Formats: sequence, structure tokens, C-alpha cells
Amino acid sequence: MITAEGLRKRYGSKVAVDDLSFNVRPGVVTGFLGPNGAGKSTTMRLMLDLDNGEGETRFDGRRFAEIRHPMTEIGAVLEAKSFHPTRTARNHLRMLAAGSRLPKKRADEVLEFVGLTEVRNKKPKGFSLGMAQRLGLAQALLGDPNTLILDEPANGLDPHGIHWLRDMLKALAAEGRCVLVSSHLLSEMSLMADELVVIGRGQMIFNGDVDEFVKKFTQTTVLVKSPSATQLTETLQQMGAEVEPNPEGGLLVSGADASVIGEIAHRDGIILHELATQSASLEDAFISATGASEEYVAHDVREEAASLVDGQGAHNETAGGAA
Amino acid sequence: MIDALRFESTRIRTLRSTYWLIGLGLLITAGIAGIVAIASSDEPLDDTLIMTVLTGGGEFATFIPIFMAIIGIFAVGHEYRHGTIQPTLLAIPQRSTVLLSKIVIVLFTSAVVAIVSVAINFGVGTLFWGEAPDLTASPLNEAVPGYIVMVMIYSLLGIALAQLFRGIPAALVILLITPLLVEGLIAGLSMVPALDWLQPILKFLPFGAGQRLLAVTPYDPQGGPEFDYLDRWASGGVFAAFTVILLAVAWYLFKKRDA
Ligand SMILES: Nc1ncnc2c1ncn2[C@@H]1O[C@H](COP(=O)(O)OP(=O)(O)OP(=O)(O)O)[C@@H](O)[C@H]1O
Ligand SMILES: [Mg+2]
Repeated sequence: MITAEGLRKRYGSKVAVDDLSFNVRPGVVTGFLGPNGAGKSTTMRLMLDLDNGEGETRFDGRRFAEIRHPMTEIGAVLEAKSFHPTRTARNHLRMLAAGSRLPKKRADEVLEFVGLTEVRNKKPKGFSLGMAQRLGLAQALLGDPNTLILDEPANGLDPHGIHWLRDMLKALAAEGRCVLVSSHLLSEMSLMADELVVIGRGQMIFNGDVDEFVKKFTQTTVLVKSPSATQLTETLQQMGAEVEPNPEGGLLVSGADASVIGEIAHRDGIILHELATQSASLEDAFISATGASEEYVAHDVREEAASLVDGQGAHNETAGGAA
Repeated sequence: MIDALRFESTRIRTLRSTYWLIGLGLLITAGIAGIVAIASSDEPLDDTLIMTVLTGGGEFATFIPIFMAIIGIFAVGHEYRHGTIQPTLLAIPQRSTVLLSKIVIVLFTSAVVAIVSVAINFGVGTLFWGEAPDLTASPLNEAVPGYIVMVMIYSLLGIALAQLFRGIPAALVILLITPLLVEGLIAGLSMVPALDWLQPILKFLPFGAGQRLLAVTPYDPQGGPEFDYLDRWASGGVFAAFTVILLAVAWYLFKKRDA
């Protein structure tokens, strides 16, 4: 069990992590989500005493610095490539094993486990991002720890690798370990995580299980296709529902159930060609939860292009993108 | 602490640059020793000549000290250059233990290398001179240990600089530029009559003072500023104090700052 309390970190006047408190339970994979710059990495660094900040993190009741050989209890990887480019993968792990009083052969065992046995005597400077991530995982698993803290471990893995990572993390969690995995990609996390900690701009947005997150942050919409769209739109808007044109044709209605829309159409004698409830995805929930808190918002590509075509060259102040 | 030392000794042994720097240092100084010994093979041996051969030209070209300083710079600088400071601190979170174990291992390495280098050069000298120089008489009985101490201080300075700047380039620049430019400049300025008040501080310029550790003759201005250095060990103390102050600042910042 990891308990983080009141984590806070500022860089100058900028608050990167703002009073975060959460728990990571053993036995499940906890996804740590947030858009770029939300403070995920900073939070993990705070938890592991790498950064100085406020707050306290306890691992089964103890602070990180109090643990005698932390690698045997907490396995963490914060950056994909944190190894010397000419020290072989095997020597890198043997060095860490020596510092944690682990037998040398542990290095070969974990390399086998992550599938790097063939390149264990190679210099890692030639490693692809995916191989580097695997070496990072090997490093985290070196001490057979009860707790795993991984910052964007899926970054750079191919679909097969992501699948493997997901199965591995789920299996490790099922053995009763605490697993905290960060990502800014929800699609990745939706396959892996059972619980979520979602942050934006350093602040807690949501902490709970995945289904609850979807329920809380999505509105179900209904797709309607009808030849008398204008008339139907008016009627629905009068009863307080929101109606928007669907880019792929038809109308998207929120605030009214499919059954209600069907009855209204029947009452008014409107022909319907399609009436379908759109179930919200985790992705939608994520965007709706974090959209307002995105740190670095890109300009909307279409708006940007339009302003360029206009030939005005003026800076477009409208920050679109994350609606 | 034992585990941190085992970590650090594995670290230094699994780095190719360690072997390069040591091998190259031993080779170059042995080469210089050989050239000087051949050239002087029919001259009578004096202390200066013996010292030049034993240190491979240590009075004017500080190969072994600089190379050992680079090993010190790498010991800390690589951690930042390649981001290994994170796994290192995740394995050993006590920062003082990490730094202390680096210091112990690097000092040990530089002492061994300096002793081996002197031994090799002693062999080279004996070979060409046809007689073994006597190292038990003054001033060689102090200058040879002085040289070994100087090499060790240089390696410690490497650690201090790399930890202070948390990287390799700045540490290297300071290490190479300070003795040459800064101390040269101050010595030069002190010869301008209006700036002769600078003279009293010359003996406290750290690199110049450190060089006195292996001196076998009194300081000779040779057209440079005229002043007296402190004695051998006091001058060495000046160099050591400079290094220790830098190290203390670096240590304090290492404990306080984000990794
Ligand atoms: N060393 C630093 N100095 C100044 N600001 C920093 C530093 N590290 C992080 N920040 C700022 O703190 C905020 C949080 O950064 P952090 O790296 O924790 O985000 P993140 O959630 O990990 O993002 P990403 O998904 O891009 O990895 C960002 O706005 C970032 O600019
Ligand atoms: Mg990050």
C-alpha cells in the first residue's frame, strides 16, 4: 500500500504539483493519468525522494529513505534511458545489484524475463526506445519488489510490446503488488488499469475505479438521422436537450434518452432513419475531465491553417484543440 | 556503506574510460620517463632529473593528475550526463553515502595508479641509467609521496567540480583553464608595479601551491613574480583546502537540491 499525502512541489512561482493525496492499493494496477505537463513525473520523483518538496509518501508505512535496500521493495523507472551508453545491460544491472546486496545472477534472470538475454552483453547506446524501456523494467524488477512505480513504460513499445507489458503488470499486480503506472495516453491505460489517479495542472481530478470515472465524466449522446432534422432539432432544444450536427452526418443529442427522442418523433410524425445511443469511451471521459486543465494547448490545426491562408500572418490567439 | 562501495567499484570497473585513462596515463608518463632517462643516461643523477623521470614530467606536464581528475569528473558527471543518478539514488537513497563511496573508490584508484606509475617509471629510469636512484634521502623521500598526494587531490577535485556543476563539460573547463589562465593571469598582473599588492596571495593560488608537493628545489621565479611559497606540505594543504571547500559546497547542494 502506498499512501501519498499533501504532495506539493513548486518551481519558482509555478506550482507543478498541488496538494496531491492518494492511495495505491495492492493487487490492482493503478493508472496515473494526466495530460503533458500535468505533474505526473514530478509527483513520482517526490514520492521517491528524488525531488525536494512538501508532503509525505509512505510505502507500507515507511518513508522511502527509511528502507534499507529500497530496490528490493520498490522498483521504479522514471526515465527511459537512464544507463551509461557503453556499459552493457548486464553490467548496468550487476552494478545496481551490487548496491542492493542482490546476487549477480539476478541480472541475467530479469534480462531473460524482459526478453533482452540476446543483447545483454551489448552496449545499450544502440538500443531502440522499446529495448531501453525493457531494460528499465528489468531494472525495476531486479530486487523482486512489492511495489512498482513506472513513468510512461509503454512509451516506445510496439503493439506487441504493449500487450506484453499489460499482461505482465496485471500478473504482477495479481500477485499482490502495488503497481502505479503513468501515462498521458488513456487508450494505453484503459487496457491496463483497474484504478485511476487522474491529475491536471498538478491537481487531483479523479481518484477511483475506471468505470466510475467514465460515468462521472461522460454524457451519453444519441445519434439521430432524420430527413426532418431541422424540425426535430427545434423540438429537442425546446425541451432543454443539446443538439449538435454530427461531422459524419446526422445529429448528436445529449440530455435526452433514445426512448424520449423516439417518442417525440412518433408524436410529431417525424421519420427517423437511425436512432442509436453512443456509449462514451474512456478516451472521451479523459478529454472531458482534463480538457480544461491541459497545460500546453496546441492551436487548432484548421484554425491555424485558415489564418495562414488569410495571409494575415497575425498570431492566432484562439487556443482551440482541447474543446 | 559496504553496499555503496560495492556499487561504486562495479561502476568504475565496468566503464571503458577508466581503463583508457589509466592505460594512457601510465603509457605516456612511462614514455616521457624513457625519453628523459635515455637523453640523460650519461649525466650525473640529480634530484630534479630523478623526479622528472619518476613522475613522467609531473613538474611541467601533469598527465596522471589530470587523467585521475577526469576519472573523478566521470564518477559524478556521468550520473548526470546519462541520467543514471536516478537508478543510483533509487538503489542507495542516502546521498552522502553515494558521494562518500565515490570519493573512497576514486581516491583509492588514483593512489594505486600514482604508485604504479612511479614504480614503472622507476623501472624505466633504472634500466637506462644502469643504477637505481636512492629515494630514501631528502628531498625525494618527501617529494615522491608528495606527488602521490597531489594525484589524489586532483582526483578529489574532479569529483568536487563535477558534483558542483552536475556535469562533465563545465568541470573539465574549470580544471584545465584555472591553472593555465586564471593563475597565470594573477601571477602576471602581480608583476605590474601598481598591482604588486597581489604578490602576497600568489602562494595561495591552489594549483600553483599544489605543484609544490613534488618540488625538489626552492621556487625559482625565472623572470616571473618573486615570492616564497609555503613549505611543501603547507602548500599541499592550500591545494587540499581549496578542493575540500569546493567539495563541501557541492556536497551541501547535492543534499539540498533535486536530483
Ligand atoms: N526542473 C524543472 N524546472 C522547472 N519546471 C519544471 C521542472 N520539471 C517540471 N517542470 C514543470 O512542472 C510541470 C509538471 O511537469 P511533469 O514533468 O511532472 O509533467 P508530466 O505530467 O510528467 O508530463 P508528461 O506527460 O509530458 O511527461 C510542467 O509544467 C513542467 O514544465
Ligand atoms: Mg512525465
